Amino acid sequence: MLKIENLQVEIDGQEIVKGLDLEVGKGEIHAIMGPNGSGKSTLANVLMGHPRYEVTGGSVTFQGEDVFELEPDERAKLGMFLAFQYPSEVPGVSVANFLRTAVNSVREEELSPMEMYRLIQEKMSIMQMDPKFAERYLNEGFSGGEKKRNEILQMLMLEPKLAIMDETDSGLDIDALQVVAKGVNELRGPEFSAVIITHYQRILRYIEPDHVHVMLDGRIVTSGGKELALELEDKGYEWVRQEFGAGTQS
Amino acid sequence: MSTNGVPEVLKSKGISAETVKALSSFKDEPGWLTERRLEAWRSFEALPMPTIRDEAWRYTDISDVRIEDFLPYAPSPDVSREADLPDAVQRLIAEGEENSALLVQHNSETAFSRVDEELSRKGIVFTDLHTALAEHEDLVREKLFGLVPGDYDKFAALSAAAFSGGSFLYVPRGVDVELPIQSYRWLDVVGSIMPRTLVVIEEGASVTYIDEYASADGEDPAFSNGAVELYVGEGANLRYVSLQNWERNVLHFNTIRSRTEKDATINSLVVSFGSQLSRTNVEAGLSASGGDSEMLGLYFADQNQVLDHHTLQDHIAPNAHSDLLYKGALRDESIAVFSGLIRVEPGAQKTDAYQTNRNLILGTDDAFAVSLPNLEIMADDVKCSHGSTTGQVDETELFYLMSRGIPRREAEKLVVFGFFGEITSRIPLKGLKDKLDRAIEGKIGLGFEERVA
Repeated sequence: MLKIENLQVEIDGQEIVKGLDLEVGKGEIHAIMGPNGSGKSTLANVLMGHPRYEVTGGSVTFQGEDVFELEPDERAKLGMFLAFQYPSEVPGVSVANFLRTAVNSVREEELSPMEMYRLIQEKMSIMQMDPKFAERYLNEGFSGGEKKRNEILQMLMLEPKLAIMDETDSGLDIDALQVVAKGVNELRGPEFSAVIITHYQRILRYIEPDHVHVMLDGRIVTSGGKELALELEDKGYEWVRQEFGAGTQS
Repeated sequence: MSTNGVPEVLKSKGISAETVKALSSFKDEPGWLTERRLEAWRSFEALPMPTIRDEAWRYTDISDVRIEDFLPYAPSPDVSREADLPDAVQRLIAEGEENSALLVQHNSETAFSRVDEELSRKGIVFTDLHTALAEHEDLVREKLFGLVPGDYDKFAALSAAAFSGGSFLYVPRGVDVELPIQSYRWLDVVGSIMPRTLVVIEEGASVTYIDEYASADGEDPAFSNGAVELYVGEGANLRYVSLQNWERNVLHFNTIRSRTEKDATINSLVVSFGSQLSRTNVEAGLSASGGDSEMLGLYFADQNQVLDHHTLQDHIAPNAHSDLLYKGALRDESIAVFSGLIRVEPGAQKTDAYQTNRNLILGTDDAFAVSLPNLEIMADDVKCSHGSTTGQVDETELFYLMSRGIPRREAEKLVVFGFFGEITSRIPLKGLKDKLDRAIEGKIGLGFEERVA
């Protein structure tokens, strides 16, 4: 459903993603692990259409459509979702108003205000969020954990076909991590795929991946099953650098 | 009023001492007022027309404004029922706040007014200024020109000399008026309108009063020149709203000044959407301790509009509080000017004063926001702060919203509504809020990226 071929991305003239290939099938959960600076977040943002990044080569298709021909909102309507590592604060726009606008934008038919209210309440209870949360301004003054929960809440509301999770686990304590994982597992099924981008294998204990990829210096350097995550945890990224680093390639 | 009997001199362009005399005599005014008008006229003649070399007019070029080109007076048909008012005015009323009293000034004359019986029973007076002069001369004489005198500045001088129509609101001691009281100023001729608002709220009384300015579409320039005087008595509460939504042929000048007595509260909201060029002075005089002035401003400039607000928080007495927040959006090639001053006079200890101006530039490099916050403090035990920001809509923020399926135009709208939400959420008037939302939505139009060539 998602196919990335030889993707190359620059930011401010510097190449960050240097020819990356990845294919994610329907219902699959993929984890992309890698040290800081390997290009993981750039990959996540560019898949969703962040204006700061420039795609200099390669292709990405989702459900057979050329993603780079689509605006971010059109990608979302096709079923793509990005859980941001650093969600923006939008003053004056309440969570409820935002969710309403977003849900009605991606749906063919608008929900009635009552249906919308029920949906928000239902999803918030899964995320163990206080109903008052909906009246707060989007991400303004939220703690790190609240921001991440809010991202997953949006995911539950929008029910995407593919969720890309950009370091959703970073900065979360174990309780918050479990709630976030619960949200993701809520959607898990034959119609839901995910790409979980993470530095640590901790989150993968709660969301079990089908495939694990290791990213280094803008490329995926090795792939495997979930046992690869454990191996990484054991041996550390230094091992990856020695095995697959730039020095060994030339 | 009717067209009959309007003196010839008021039907020809330009204003002179003769015009002022003829107007005063046409309105059958007492001698003292004729004299005050003429005095103001002399100030007008003596004061030079402001130019961009004057600090207070540096960014607002009025060299094209030719007062002598405007008709000084335009009559309007007298209307006995609300249903006979122009359709556009009826629409304004229907879309506005529910009210307990209403006055419509059509061009230079009062076309219609209505006061709920309950208000009259409680002693509330709400009429145009001419009627007030006939029926409550002593009160009007004491207060008129007290806050915006005939020599305040060039435009205020003209307004004092040549005002007509206007509104007078008096709320007696301890009376709490629940529903807002509303004036509409409607202009549908090429000419001038010089409305004047005089509000006197006695001790412990409370009321919401709204001035709203709107006009029929026109090509040739028209001129609105007003003055607003707001007296808030001890422990009284006044919520004052000025909503300026003229068509683009109108030049708008207005000076709004208030004075709060001990423990009095005034909440003002000044909205500027319309006109080609608009200059509004908003000044709160905190002349007794315990006074509280909330000053909100909301403006949205587009095309080549110039919207200029000059504010003053004048702390004369100790222990008073003022909080100003003016927020504006700009698009296309518009100019917005904010110049604000907190002045703490000697002896005004324990002053608590805040001033914030924020501008949001929408998808253009050609709009220009000037923000000049100032403090002038002559007491040593005070808390004062001021701040100002001007910025573009954040692309990362838009990306975040769009990544949830929200199209760019809707995302921009959310950001702009969010920006103004800080103001609108502080106004407890549903009808007014809806009106502001619709006007903001209209201003955003097709999305600001598309409009900019």
